[in-house]
Amino acid sequence: MLLSARGVARRYGRVVALAPTTLEIARGEAVALIGPNGAGKSTLLSILAGALEPSEGAIESGNAVRRVGWVPQSPAHYSRLTPRENLELFARLEGVPDADETADRFLQLLELPDDGRLTSQLSAGNQQRLNLAVALLGRPEVLLLDEPTASLDPRQRRRLWDVAGQVRERDGAVVFATQNLEELEHFASRVVVLLDGAVVFAGSLEDFRQAPEADVFA
Amino acid sequence: MTKIRLLLQKDLRLLVRSPALLAALVLYPIVFAVLVGLVVRYASDRPRVAFVDLDHLPETLTVGGQSFNVPNVISQVQGSVELVPMDPEEADRKLATGSIVAEIVVPPGFASKLRGMVESPTLILKTAKGGLSGRVDQQTQALVYSLNRRLQAAYIKANLDYVNLLVEGGQGSFLGNEFDVVGLDRAAEILDEIKRTSDDPTIVQRAEELSVFVREAKLALSASGDSLRATANPIELQTDTSGGRTWLLSAQIQAYALGLTLAFICVLLAAAALAAERDENVIGRLARGLVGLTDLVVVKVLLAVLVALGLGFAIALVFGFVAEIFDVSGGEPWQRLPLLLLGLLLAGAAFGAFGALMGALARDSRTAVLVAFLAALPLVLLGLVPEGAARAAWWAAQAFPFSHAVDFFQAALYDSAPWRTLAVDAAWLLGLALAFGAAARLAVRRLLA
Repeated sequence: MLLSARGVARRYGRVVALAPTTLEIARGEAVALIGPNGAGKSTLLSILAGALEPSEGAIESGNAVRRVGWVPQSPAHYSRLTPRENLELFARLEGVPDADETADRFLQLLELPDDGRLTSQLSAGNQQRLNLAVALLGRPEVLLLDEPTASLDPRQRRRLWDVAGQVRERDGAVVFATQNLEELEHFASRVVVLLDGAVVFAGSLEDFRQAPEADVFA
Repeated sequence: MTKIRLLLQKDLRLLVRSPALLAALVLYPIVFAVLVGLVVRYASDRPRVAFVDLDHLPETLTVGGQSFNVPNVISQVQGSVELVPMDPEEADRKLATGSIVAEIVVPPGFASKLRGMVESPTLILKTAKGGLSGRVDQQTQALVYSLNRRLQAAYIKANLDYVNLLVEGGQGSFLGNEFDVVGLDRAAEILDEIKRTSDDPTIVQRAEELSVFVREAKLALSASGDSLRATANPIELQTDTSGGRTWLLSAQIQAYALGLTLAFICVLLAAAALAAERDENVIGRLARGLVGLTDLVVVKVLLAVLVALGLGFAIALVFGFVAEIFDVSGGEPWQRLPLLLLGLLLAGAAFGAFGALMGALARDSRTAVLVAFLAALPLVLLGLVPEGAARAAWWAAQAFPFSHAVDFFQAALYDSAPWRTLAVDAAWLLGLALAFGAAARLAVRRLLA
């Protein structure tokens, strides 16, 4: 088991964003979180990433400290820095030994512009790829993706799933939130369905295909 | 520590990339400081006072043989107050509405009492209740003092005329009654003549006794001129306006310029920088183990400290160079710079921590800037309230770094024995930095929600 959420819940006053939820992520898995807007997918991913403290429950990663890469739905980087400056800064914060070289590598890997333009001047697609690149800097064992392909063109979507696949191939795991059933069919090994902050289905892709919940998203 | 340095470098880079914002942040408080200086300097100058003449003073008033042009006298004493002639009803109405701060009423019979030189005439001062009344009292006392100074020469001359009449004799008048006075000189001559011509030894002896009295009286009265002048002015004030710093380079203006610049820049900058981490959606990424929330608050406080040191040092250099170029005396602009740097560091930390608290409470940078500005402005104005003026306001100002920063800067730059003030205000600034920093650390969790 790489990472697990034990009864994690998040409340904002009387509003329940996520009811107590338990989820275990094993090596080599690709877990798809699906559900309508406001179902609690982003909240669960933020809690798994450690970016949001749960109101109750806990995140466990066995005896090891897991490297977790997080790609939030909205880009999370400094808009008045260039892509290179963002990558170098986050690489250094992650403790990557050669931050400059790592930044070079990800600029090339994700075809990010390196012409001195500020990140705020980039297209939404480029900003989303930078978002992914920042998440990959620490060579994560678990990659958490929150609707990552929303602003990507088909070619870049393929590139993203290739990169996510490499994390799985390294004996890591990927957890992604999506509304796109094609991506689910293409990449997921397990499906978790959230509705109104609660898990209503959790099982394999095959089980999901047979489950009545699948019709809701068809 | 490396992570703090990395984030600090990032913040400085972002700041440099916003030159318009930086320029506005620097220029605004400096302009504000000069304006405050002007207000502080001129607030006590020439309050508007109604002049109500119920005695219908003549154009020319003769007192003790000296003629005074009344409008001229009034215009010459207007340095301390602006006297505006008004009728009594208008003056009362304007005093009630606050258009004027006081009324000076010349009651009927004023001029005749003045001319009579027997009884002191009375001027009536009416003031409104409130903060200015004390100051108007002082200004009016200064005005009456100025009038008395001009009149006392006439009074002394009139008194000396009477003394001369006593010595030399002649025709005089008092309260409209004409009379003849023999005079001490003529009295001595008469007594000498009696002593020469009288055969009665008793009369000669009495005449001799009177002659002694007349000689001593003349001797005493010969010194009466100086004595009268000394009685009128036991202490003379000599005013020397040369030397010292002009108001623009004064300790007060420099300390306010530094204090105001730091109060606004550090507070707004720290507030905006902290809230911007959430605006950029980066706070979650940082908080998941890359940078602790305490470190994040420390970074913003350090950013404020660095900016405070840079800007404060630049302002001090400008003041120092101007003082050197114009050869202005007073103060030690260069020797005290290390002390000033300590003050800038502590003030930057205290203002930065307060700003970080505002940023954490406001959560987004636009609101943070607005909230920080709205919070800092009244707190700065409270800091301008003198200790004796409004005790509650003064105590409230103690909970904000501004007044301590200004006091520290003034003491550091100009006091000959600054150590006690420096120690007290340094302790205040450090305490406020820690208190606001701790509050900001508690509040910064709000940015993650």
